[in-house]
Amino acid sequence: MSEKDWFKESYYTAKQLVERGLDKHVRIAVTGLSCSGKTAFITSFINQLLFAADNDRLPFFDMSKQQRIVGAKIQAYPDLHIPEFRYSAAIEYLTASEPQWPPSTSSIAQSQIKIRYKVSNRWYKKAKEFSSLTVDIVDYPGEWLLDLPLLRMSFKQWSTQCTECLGRGSRKELAQDWLDSQNKTQLSEMYDEQSVSEIAQSYRAFLQRCKQSKANISLIQPGRFILPGELAGAPVLDFFPVVDESILAQDWSSFEAESTVRVLEKRFNYYRDKVVKPFFYEYFSKVDRQILLVDCLSVLNSGYESYRDMQFTLSQLLQSFNYGQSNWVKRLFNPSIDKLMIAATKSDHVPPEQHRNLEAFMQNMLQQARNDIRYEGIKMESMAISSINVTQPVMAEHDGKKLMCVQGVEQSTKETIINFPGKIPQQPPTKQQWSDLEFDFVNFAPSNLSPGALPHIRMDKVLHFLLGDKFL
Amino acid sequence: MSNEQQDKPVKISLEKIKSQDKIEVTPINPLQLVEENEQQEAAQIVFKEQTKGGIKRLFWPAFSTLVIGAATFQTYQFIQELFLTNAMLGMAGIVVAGAALVSGGVALFNGWRARRRLANRQSAQQEFKRILQQDSYGKAGHSLQELTQEISEYVEISVLEKKYQSAKQQVHNDHELIQIYSNSVLAGLDKMALDIISKHASEAAVMVALSPLAIADMALVAWRSSKMIQELSRLYGCPQTAFGRIDMTKQVFKNMMLAGASELVAEAGVEMLGKTLTASVSTKVAQGIGIGVLISRMGIQTMSLCRPIEFTEQNKPRLSHLRKAIYNKVVGIVKNTDRDKNEERVKSPIIDDITQND
Repeated sequence: MSEKDWFKESYYTAKQLVERGLDKHVRIAVTGLSCSGKTAFITSFINQLLFAADNDRLPFFDMSKQQRIVGAKIQAYPDLHIPEFRYSAAIEYLTASEPQWPPSTSSIAQSQIKIRYKVSNRWYKKAKEFSSLTVDIVDYPGEWLLDLPLLRMSFKQWSTQCTECLGRGSRKELAQDWLDSQNKTQLSEMYDEQSVSEIAQSYRAFLQRCKQSKANISLIQPGRFILPGELAGAPVLDFFPVVDESILAQDWSSFEAESTVRVLEKRFNYYRDKVVKPFFYEYFSKVDRQILLVDCLSVLNSGYESYRDMQFTLSQLLQSFNYGQSNWVKRLFNPSIDKLMIAATKSDHVPPEQHRNLEAFMQNMLQQARNDIRYEGIKMESMAISSINVTQPVMAEHDGKKLMCVQGVEQSTKETIINFPGKIPQQPPTKQQWSDLEFDFVNFAPSNLSPGALPHIRMDKVLHFLLGDKFL
Repeated sequence: MSNEQQDKPVKISLEKIKSQDKIEVTPINPLQLVEENEQQEAAQIVFKEQTKGGIKRLFWPAFSTLVIGAATFQTYQFIQELFLTNAMLGMAGIVVAGAALVSGGVALFNGWRARRRLANRQSAQQEFKRILQQDSYGKAGHSLQELTQEISEYVEISVLEKKYQSAKQQVHNDHELIQIYSNSVLAGLDKMALDIISKHASEAAVMVALSPLAIADMALVAWRSSKMIQELSRLYGCPQTAFGRIDMTKQVFKNMMLAGASELVAEAGVEMLGKTLTASVSTKVAQGIGIGVLISRMGIQTMSLCRPIEFTEQNKPRLSHLRKAIYNKVVGIVKNTDRDKNEERVKSPIIDDITQND
């Protein structure tokens, strides 16, 4: 590296540090399990910002309401090794002649948006009439997010957790193949590469079955076993949890270093320290705003087991983030999340009358986790949103009763339908009540979207909550 | 349970509906939804109405009957006497009495309507406040539409109304709808209201600063503030007549006294700053600014009395903005007149004598 380059680089770093000190840089973590609508959310988020300058559909985003936004644009990301979020491709998908949702994400992508706005603070205004805010936003496969709780666990703890999970719901049936193959091997003996690799193979197959099963299982760890990315076929993915109670009860230090259990532990540790840790360190440690997207509708469709599973998974996830009030000194050196929004997505699939119920349902589901976060002094809000609104509410009369329904194009049949999905309870139902409840949330496909500002539900509130206070 | 059946999901293909023609599908009209949800009772703690003593209660009805009866009797006698003198004179007497009766009746009726409008506005305010505390859907649309009609009778608000219509969505719940309305239509009116207040307040301030008589000051304040209250109440769609205005002024002063104490503390600092600055100009100017501030406070109270949706902490109008406008105007005018005086002083020494005698 020449001296000039070095100077340039340090100048760039210093400038970045100063900008962060002056609050001009926000990094938003969009978190959510797979199929919770992250890509759609990011697409809509960027879209709303790009059109915020003259869009009167954002009544709760003060900056837009006061017409202080001059303009916004997507900027080339300075970290060139990370692929860019393909915003225009996503819009292309939505507005095509046969519109469809953007495909689910299979690797990481990042986007940077720069917003130019009128300064309203009376002191800063004297120095500068216009200023700009840079927003970083990262998209990544939701499957990988589930690796986050692993960071706090040892192999033994993880195995214990997996054993407990196997007792719940339909997992046991799905896992039968893998359990059989594991039972054939003596885990405390010397390891044999061939058989370990075979068992790992059947464990991965089990996870794939969980993913595809109708029971809507959330907790599928480790995430890279489903979507290996660049790690496909690498030996680091050849491990599986030990679910043999008798081995779990023993002290593992008595086993030989070459025993199967110890080898599995070694691989787990490698996976945790060399794959998961750097990933989250790079993308999430510098985050100062977070939004958690929750798809309550699939949970309501699938019932009690799925509800418990998602509740457990999300609580685990939320515990893994680094929360704390950030002042500017702290932000400079060790930024942490100071605002969290928990959003129930796809609320356009629910009649507007029931949005409040949807919110209450989600709040109740995450009550414990929310309580823990609030204890840390984080500003938190939860609401029912829809990144891209593809339905419209209608009243329909059915069997002499007036029902508020939603009308839209069904994803599977491409037919226009009117759907009353059932009444969402505000209080979390008991196990008994769950079996009585019946829901039918249909997946709607996008239709009739123009390439301009996308229709949405409460994205303006999201923008205001996540960015509102960052404008000077 | 009959309720449970309603909760079962229903999915209907639109094609099927069209072929069967049995199910009726309509776009949601928020106006139809109003009465469907039963109203939640808000827990309220209120004083029970005090019963007045029987004799005491009789005073006003008895007194007014006496006065009206006496007046009618007197008029009747008077006209009869006129007829005795001359038939034409009698006819003229009837016409005059009739005109007085009709115009007085109309004025009374208008006054009564204005008072009712104000009372309605107060209850609308309570109603919106109640809705804001609930999580309901489909209740507010109707009331807001009525409100728009009420206001547009007196003010042209189609631009603001358009802004509201484009911002609201079908999916917004009552809370959000009211907020959007408050931030679009009413925020526009608030801006105009502040202009009116600052105009009247600064005018009164200048007049007081320049007027030489204390008694004239008082008349000025009464006149300007009454005029301002009239304009403000008209702007928010519940115009007050002369009678109604007295009622309103009473309420405004009551509110000022109630809210005054806390506000005064917050504003005292700025007011003192204003005074120290103005004291150096002249005491008369300081008085003018004081009056201006008083009228601004009255204006702000009138605003919050007439505004159908209560102010929140964020959009509450603040005295400090108005004070600056008043100060600039008064000081500007007084300085100008001072300069004029100085110029005149050079021309005629007689005026110089008069000003010194002052």
